[in-house]
Amino acid sequence: MANGPDEKDEDAALRARLDALSSKLDAHQAAPGGGDGSNPGDGSQPGDGSLGGAMSLGLRVMTEFVAGIVTGALIGWQLDKWCGTSPVLLIVFLTLGTAAGFWNVYRIATKPTGRGPL
Amino acid sequence: MAAEQGIDPIHQFRVEPIIPIHIGGVDVSFTNSALFMLIIVGLASLLMVFGTSRNALVPSRLQSAAEMGYEFVASTIKTAAGTEGMRFFPFVFSIFIFVLFSNLLGLVPYAFTVTSQIVVTFALAILVIGTVIGYGVYRHGAHFLHLFVPSGVSPLLLPFIVLIEVISFVSRPISLSVRLFANMLAGHITLKVFGAFVASLLGAGAFAVIAPLPLAMTVILTGFELLVAVLQAYVFAILTCVYLNDAIHPGH
Repeated sequence: MANGPDEKDEDAALRARLDALSSKLDAHQAAPGGGDGSNPGDGSQPGDGSLGGAMSLGLRVMTEFVAGIVTGALIGWQLDKWCGTSPVLLIVFLTLGTAAGFWNVYRIATKPTGRGPL
Repeated sequence: MAAEQGIDPIHQFRVEPIIPIHIGGVDVSFTNSALFMLIIVGLASLLMVFGTSRNALVPSRLQSAAEMGYEFVASTIKTAAGTEGMRFFPFVFSIFIFVLFSNLLGLVPYAFTVTSQIVVTFALAILVIGTVIGYGVYRHGAHFLHLFVPSGVSPLLLPFIVLIEVISFVSRPISLSVRLFANMLAGHITLKVFGAFVASLLGAGAFAVIAPLPLAMTVILTGFELLVAVLQAYVFAILTCVYLNDAIHPGH
């Protein structure tokens, strides 16, 4: 019973330390690219390096943009062939496809999925 | 590689039948492409079977490689599609390993690059999108269509937005397949052309002095192609995860 207050003090100190550590951990996990569940040992993954990440991002943006336009043009062209309204639908869907291409790029830019620049 | 007179950088992509098979007028010959796909699957299976046969606490090189592959794909899925995405782990892992092995194997001289055929990459992309649609409809039913209807858009604009979203969705398999195919095709043609420069400069009398220049370029490009091969496999895998995430959580 003599060392009661001592134990209490130790408990309080321990709890304070745990709180500080957990708040630190939260801050680290909230930081961008800090704690996304991956261990720090996998820093050499492709897409993480500055050159690799930038290159893959650039290629992704380019193909997404082009694919939107091409898809719109193909849909319009095929619908024109079916309906015999050439070239009205081609023009309409080419415009929509370009918008879709920009939309793809916009989505990549605003909502980064995965890690880092990807 | 290309020391013949007429150097044709496209020749390496020709699909040639090894065992011609015709069933009911359909050409299902066993080609060099099919042969290399079998080699890829065999190599990947060997890596996994021997890498996991002895579960040592201190892993051997092979076991280390297999475990790194597993952890890499697992962390990719968890970051892009959440813990629920892990039910697609076998699918994503198979696609990643297949694309990675075919890209890397294609860099070996005289090897055939399976992923430089748009039929192969498009089949992979359609498989991914088919899985997304199939699982999305199975899991959410008609609610899956909310993927195309973003919330908070004025009713006046909604038809256009929905059309644009549909086109954007349809363009996914195209961009997924064309990216991989074009990267592999362009890289291998560039390598071949620089290799051909070396050969023709050597045969051009005094100009043979500058032949080492394209040779050095070929060496640099080979290293660069190694980076592209791994990177494209990674991009294919992470985009698969992103699209699967749409199937698991539609409606942004």
